[in-house]
Amino acid sequence: MELKVLYFGMIAEATGRKEEVILLQSGSTIDQLENLLKDKYENLQHLSFKVAIDKEISANDTLLNPHNEIALLPPFSGG
Amino acid sequence: MNKRKTVFIEGPITPSFIANSIEKHQTKTTIGAHDIFLGQVRADEIDGKIVQAIEYSAYTEMAENKFHEIREATFSKYDLTCMHIYHSLGKVKTGEICLFVFVSAPHRKVAFEALEFLVEEIKKDVPVFGKEVFEDETHVWKVNKV
Repeated sequence: MELKVLYFGMIAEATGRKEEVILLQSGSTIDQLENLLKDKYENLQHLSFKVAIDKEISANDTLLNPHNEIALLPPFSGG
Repeated sequence: MNKRKTVFIEGPITPSFIANSIEKHQTKTTIGAHDIFLGQVRADEIDGKIVQAIEYSAYTEMAENKFHEIREATFSKYDLTCMHIYHSLGKVKTGEICLFVFVSAPHRKVAFEALEFLVEEIKKDVPVFGKEVFEDETHVWKVNKV
């Protein structure tokens, strides 16, 4: 399945892009997506981030589906 | 569905914008107490270099959802007359204002408490990212303390 993944802040810097489409086996979880991305972008292994699915922070065992908007969010620093 | 308010402002929040916002409340005469929080960009020294500005970016749609949820939670928890939140995006230089939170209530105590709750929730839950930029154009990413 094709997944749209968004990157923000220092994560966007580490991947060198703000978004991309990732190919992943159907029925994959956030964990599996994270592993794929950490293989693709070694820099990500040293960074702390949370994953939002459709604009809500989600647990790592959450199943993904192709309609989801996925975002990798570094620590927040508003205000 | 309640009306969504615009929170993000491009660049710094000016003192005149804040003054205008206060002035607009003079017609709301059930209000007896306002409380205001202003976040200002600090010239921190990091590894011998001085921060010149913070460049803010955000996951805008999620941030707007979170601001809305925080507003609703604050209104249901505290007896407020009104509430306004403004946050900068883009570059804000040291000494300039990047966050303006304004609560109004009939009495002071609830205004004090609601304001603290609001600011803490914003810092904790809203996906805004600040890049601290130095004079030589290098940068580090800011992380909020809990």
